[in-house]
Amino acid sequence: MLRITAQKSLAGAKVSPKHLFPIFSRSSTDVAKKPEKIEVFIDDKPVLVEPGTTVLQAAALVGVEIPRFCYHERLAVAGNCRMCLVEVEKSPKPVAACAMPVMKGWRIKTDSEMTRKAREGVMEFLLVNHPLDCPICDQGGECDLQDQSMAFGSDRSRFTDIDFSGKRAVEDKDIGPLIKTIMTRCIHCTRCIRFASEVAGIDDLGTTGRGSDMQVGTYVEKFFLSELSGNVIDLCPVGALTSKPYSFTARPWETRKTDSIDVLDAVGSNIVVCTRTGDVLRILPRINEDINEEWLSDKSRFAYDGLKRQRLVTPMLRDACGELKPVDWEAALLGVGKVLKAAGGNITAVAGGLADAEALVALKDLVNKLGSEAVCIENSFPLDGSGTDLRSSYLLNNKIAPAEEADLVLLIGTNPRLEAPLLNSRIRKGYVHNETEIAVIGPKIDLRYDYIHLGEDPSIIRQIENGQHAFVKKLKSAKKPLVILGSDTLSRSDGAAILSSVQSLSRGLQDEMCDPEWKVLNILHKVANQVAALDIGYTPDLSKICESSPKVLYLLGADDCGITRADLPDGCFIVYQGHHGDQGASIADAVLPGIAYTEKQATYVNTEGRAQQTLVAVTPPGLAREDWKIIRALSEIVGAKLPYDSLEEIRYRLEEVAPHLTRYGCAEAANYFCEALELGKKTNAPIDTSPLDVKQKTLEDFYMTDVISRASPTMAKCVAAVQKQNLSKY
Amino acid sequence: MSYFGLNKLGTLLNIIKESGGIRASLYKLYRMDELKLGTLIGTDKYGNKYYENPRFFYGRNRWVEYAPQYRLEYDGSQVPAEWFGWLHYKTDLPPDKDPGRPKYKWMADHTENLSGTTGQYVPYSTTVPKIEAWKPK
Repeated sequence: MLRITAQKSLAGAKVSPKHLFPIFSRSSTDVAKKPEKIEVFIDDKPVLVEPGTTVLQAAALVGVEIPRFCYHERLAVAGNCRMCLVEVEKSPKPVAACAMPVMKGWRIKTDSEMTRKAREGVMEFLLVNHPLDCPICDQGGECDLQDQSMAFGSDRSRFTDIDFSGKRAVEDKDIGPLIKTIMTRCIHCTRCIRFASEVAGIDDLGTTGRGSDMQVGTYVEKFFLSELSGNVIDLCPVGALTSKPYSFTARPWETRKTDSIDVLDAVGSNIVVCTRTGDVLRILPRINEDINEEWLSDKSRFAYDGLKRQRLVTPMLRDACGELKPVDWEAALLGVGKVLKAAGGNITAVAGGLADAEALVALKDLVNKLGSEAVCIENSFPLDGSGTDLRSSYLLNNKIAPAEEADLVLLIGTNPRLEAPLLNSRIRKGYVHNETEIAVIGPKIDLRYDYIHLGEDPSIIRQIENGQHAFVKKLKSAKKPLVILGSDTLSRSDGAAILSSVQSLSRGLQDEMCDPEWKVLNILHKVANQVAALDIGYTPDLSKICESSPKVLYLLGADDCGITRADLPDGCFIVYQGHHGDQGASIADAVLPGIAYTEKQATYVNTEGRAQQTLVAVTPPGLAREDWKIIRALSEIVGAKLPYDSLEEIRYRLEEVAPHLTRYGCAEAANYFCEALELGKKTNAPIDTSPLDVKQKTLEDFYMTDVISRASPTMAKCVAAVQKQNLSKY
Repeated sequence: MSYFGLNKLGTLLNIIKESGGIRASLYKLYRMDELKLGTLIGTDKYGNKYYENPRFFYGRNRWVEYAPQYRLEYDGSQVPAEWFGWLHYKTDLPPDKDPGRPKYKWMADHTENLSGTTGQYVPYSTTVPKIEAWKPK
């Protein structure tokens, strides 16, 4: 597997004696000394750079952008497109800026006659075989080739051969339901190949042939199936790889772009929602170095068509025949209000993973005002010891970005590849660039990197905690160890014991850390707003609901809790508030249509405790309304009026409950690790012998995990594609 | 008398008398903007009355007085097809005196133009709905 980095390959180039002998000789003499900065001149502007900096990077420092196709900041340097050729004074030939490290005193001319001629020549060669189908190309308007041929190409064409032998034509490849290929447009920048092998860890893409016979493809007929595959669409500088669901839909200049947050996993990737005439047309990643860099998982990128299906667009009440019938808001609120009043405080509320913080706090306030304390989340979580009182026991304490710096990662009962693909890409980055070692306790799963499989038995955790396991030695010697505990493990009956064990194990490692900012203990959640719900004060004791025999069960987007009618006492009135008709709405007696994340301005807190907000991209469908407003309206009818009427006021209330919930963009760190450990020790429950398991094991399980992705036809096609691939002999 | 136009006065009185008195004449004038004297040729099943007076020139000598229930909300499409021909000089035979007209029981009743009312024709939409609503099972 590929473990060569850009830095390393550059370092390799540094010691090649042909060009860089002076650096080599100097660095061998004073190795310990920090290398001196070198002065180079970009268009006669002097700039001081670290040795090893490429010409392209040095030019970027003074604000000169050199055109490029194959070079990408987050991928290894390939240097094969030749678009970045620049003139270096006293050099007879132009040099490829992306791969050439600068040397002292170099005078680089990015706009000289020779540079311009070189660019025009390269562009001419590229265009000789590039089809002129821009009017029907989906990349039109955001095409690097289009832009750069305008900016740097020749002003006239010498291509007169079109009637004679024509342009090169390449057969299109079928690489799955997400990516459309038009391989004739390919300019062989190999960005997709490098992304697949470096970031996604799938070595399926490659090139065959040479020269004008070169083709990018999968060698054998195979789908390019990865949880990050959609990113090659963004990477492709031309229209060779485009989005299949978005094909022929819109031009980039027609769409409105709204910055938002993804809620389909607990990472909270930053996204741009592109809309036109009230329709979500596509979702693109937005750069956030702390969370998703510039990648996005396929579920977040392509599940948006689920927002248009199975929607709840009108309030509904179950009539005398036992059928849900559409009613207007007044009737629905009066109906629900009557039942809530009659329940006399015997109310339970369950919040799902997609509920926003505003709705969560409003619902909790309402239920509390009516005299009940029973507000819980869908996923169970150990309540023994400190339970969810201390944030350190339910956060990804070390944050997402530093995961790539870890030198040893211990994954316990989690599959980060499918539960949080962007965290997994960080771990893989560490694996590729930092020689990170990864160990797994739990089922054997495909993480797209090598790992040590310690076993499935949860008792291994105890053994490591007590220092009896052979793996302890590695853990102790690690400088930056990371323990990541999956939420599947915590919902086991012995979750408390496992958590306490992992806490004490991490404490042992934490004490030896020299960096106090490095947190060993990390919990990885699977749903978007779990952390916010726990911060606000929702409890994870779902199992107690059925025992408490509530008169009213209020489901706030709770579809995965597995509660059925049979679990509840007779006459229990179920209210479902959410945006999709799924399991929750089908058992409900009253349905109140809420809205999805693209339609509201709402707060979400990701697994590392970072509060972020979504913004309104499209208007809600039908009669659906913002979730907290529904609860606020209901409170007035019940006679327990909630004291907030506007978003500012409810955010003020959020701030009262937990101030970090409105500090958007900041990840609030947790403390009290020792206290949580001490409280946890008191439980001292035994760990079961049943093997650790994760719910999402293979790629099939990745695509449909929540109401939005379950309603999405694209995601269904992905599952079908994976199943088809499994049957294939490749 | 005719030299001084006094015979017009007699005609006016006659029109008022035929229209059913001063009140009725004023109402008719208000409703139809004219008072005309003519022979009643026939009445259709909706209560519209058809008059003729050859004293007026061609084009103005046949007219309809819409049934009182229409008040001011009358329009040309309330004239049924069988009277349309007589009113527009396609035929001089009013429908009740024309033996050649076909009459079958499957012939549809006359409908007036419903544009602008709730009964108007609206073609079904051919655009795909943006949101597919959930249907409870």
